[in-house]
Amino acid sequence: MVELVFLIPFITGVVAFFLPRSIGRPLLVFTGAMHLLLSILLWLRKPEPLFQAYFAITPEGMLSLLVISLLFFLISIYTVGYLKASDIKAENIFIGSMLLFLSTMTMVTLSDHIMVMWIAIEATTLASAPLIYTHRTAVSLEATWKYVLICSVGIAMALLGSVLITIAMDVGQVDAPVSFSALTVVATRLDPMWLKAGFAFILVGYGTKMGLAPMHTWLPDAHSEAPSPVSALLSGVLLNCAYLGIFKTNKIMVAAGLEDFSGLILMGFGLASILAAGTFILKQTEYKRLLAYSSIENMGIIAFGTGVGGLGAYGAILCLIHHSLIKSSLFLTSGNILLGYGSRLIENTGNMVNRMPKTFVAFFSGFVAISGLPPFGIFIGELFVIMGAFKAGHYTGATILILSLCVIFAGFANQAMKISFNTSETTVGLKEKANLVWPQYALLSTSLVLCFWIPDILYRTIMNAVTSVGGGF
Amino acid sequence: MNIPVDMILSLVLLSVLFSFGSSRLPGLIKVLAFQGVIVSIVPLVIGHDLTTGGVLFTLITLIIRGIVIPLCIYLAIKKVAIRREVEPIVGYHASLLAGLGLIVAAVVVSHRFEVPSSSASVLLLPTAIALLMAGMFLLMARRNAIAMVLGYIMMENGIYLVGTTFSVRALHIVEFGILLDVLAGVMIMAVILQNIKQTFDDVDTALLRTLKE
Repeated sequence: MVELVFLIPFITGVVAFFLPRSIGRPLLVFTGAMHLLLSILLWLRKPEPLFQAYFAITPEGMLSLLVISLLFFLISIYTVGYLKASDIKAENIFIGSMLLFLSTMTMVTLSDHIMVMWIAIEATTLASAPLIYTHRTAVSLEATWKYVLICSVGIAMALLGSVLITIAMDVGQVDAPVSFSALTVVATRLDPMWLKAGFAFILVGYGTKMGLAPMHTWLPDAHSEAPSPVSALLSGVLLNCAYLGIFKTNKIMVAAGLEDFSGLILMGFGLASILAAGTFILKQTEYKRLLAYSSIENMGIIAFGTGVGGLGAYGAILCLIHHSLIKSSLFLTSGNILLGYGSRLIENTGNMVNRMPKTFVAFFSGFVAISGLPPFGIFIGELFVIMGAFKAGHYTGATILILSLCVIFAGFANQAMKISFNTSETTVGLKEKANLVWPQYALLSTSLVLCFWIPDILYRTIMNAVTSVGGGF
Repeated sequence: MNIPVDMILSLVLLSVLFSFGSSRLPGLIKVLAFQGVIVSIVPLVIGHDLTTGGVLFTLITLIIRGIVIPLCIYLAIKKVAIRREVEPIVGYHASLLAGLGLIVAAVVVSHRFEVPSSSASVLLLPTAIALLMAGMFLLMARRNAIAMVLGYIMMENGIYLVGTTFSVRALHIVEFGILLDVLAGVMIMAVILQNIKQTFDDVDTALLRTLKE
């Protein structure tokens, strides 16, 4: 029963709307643990789904599922501590929406039917909207409005793209189920013009959700206004889910022999995102927005790597996994900074190395990791992407990428130093309890370990996913 | 050639023009309801869907697209007493002209495509494209948050028209899931609208511009 993985959080999520906070918090952690357990079972047993027309177990889906499970479990532990330290009204809505959000994201990783994929991705928008409005302030309302409207309109484009792919089937007179796996098999018989149009619309649509420039405008607002555990989920796993939609469509394109076309647009959007992120990171005054722009940068690198193919595609998947681990840890840490200093502005923080030493360790190693420095995984991922780009002859693209990375590193380093070492007058009112720092340590050390040693089953799954988009060594 | 279908579709094209020239929100909502009804019955009239399941699904679509969704927005307006103009960025006359240009463009563009089932109706593809573009136009050319939501719904209607009529293999359960998502989305937008009105005492999106670089 593969479907149990998303049905359990769905049911507990609906129930959680009616529960008091004393039961809601343990339920959140319990469901996270159950979900992790079920995901590991799926990895080991690989059972058949009950509704095979709609769901399937794919290597890229399994990778995302494991990342979602691990992240949600650790974030749920942090959330309990965060909820105790902060003041959130209507906690039952918060916890219910968190669980529904988990359920819809899990559904994305398992869905195989093109339209079911769309339904699941749109559902993630709807389930996460109440989470962004948690603080009930005017600015958070503005962020929620932008998020729901821009993402809904964007995803409507993806629906149009999906419809265009079914037209490609009609025109090519292909009789097959409308699922990604079936379409990949018959890809060469699909009408190329409609398929290209479908891919372009899907890329724009899911790209909006993934945060690719120039459709990224909702992302910094939503990430900065949401409570930190939610920002961690949005950045760490929601962006991956949208990427999964693009990845699977790209699989059809590669199978149809149109990888030059899809690669070119992916690289274009990727570079645009990296450049946009670079421009805004330099003059950023809020640390959560800084992290949000860094997410846009990383999504750009991932899109670029996928477009390059070969080594680049392998690097993109590595970046995807490590970005989730590291960025979610950074967003959780930003929650501590916010609780401690009570301000989102960088200028109101400072001297964190003495004020909050445990948080400082998590923050600074997170900064080192996300900037692509060894010994963390993003270093290897970016290295592969750059090597892949040079190998495939995209010299201009690779040069722009390297230069932007340098600029972004400089901008990020400047701000990180200010937060960590500047003198500060404010007093810090946060006790660094274990559950407010250990989840971050766990995430960062997972990334560290994966950099040196990838378990065999994980490596094989990554390679299976990568070869289907024409990647690998 | 299918005369009755083309006739009702031409009414939809006219309603697009009407929505561009209309300054009052209730009028705009009625246009949306009308489009919702037409868009849901077109697949049935075109004829490849005359099974019990097909009729039942058409009925559900009609209720949701033609009644529930417009009613949601209408109630949201009524509850917080918003009775204002749509606050155009592009004026009504210019909008009308743009609407005409848009319909012409939709007809010209759709002639270049060769779609297998386009023989069923001449106006089907042009109407779908026109609805899509009109929705986007409303999203960009109106400052009123409600008019923007209505633009989104119009876009969805256009996509639905492309979807069910061209791809014969669509499964009802999947279509129903999409419909449910759209409905839930509109409901959430309606709740946000009410909150915006309560917080800012207006639904002008010019007030929603504090977050920017």
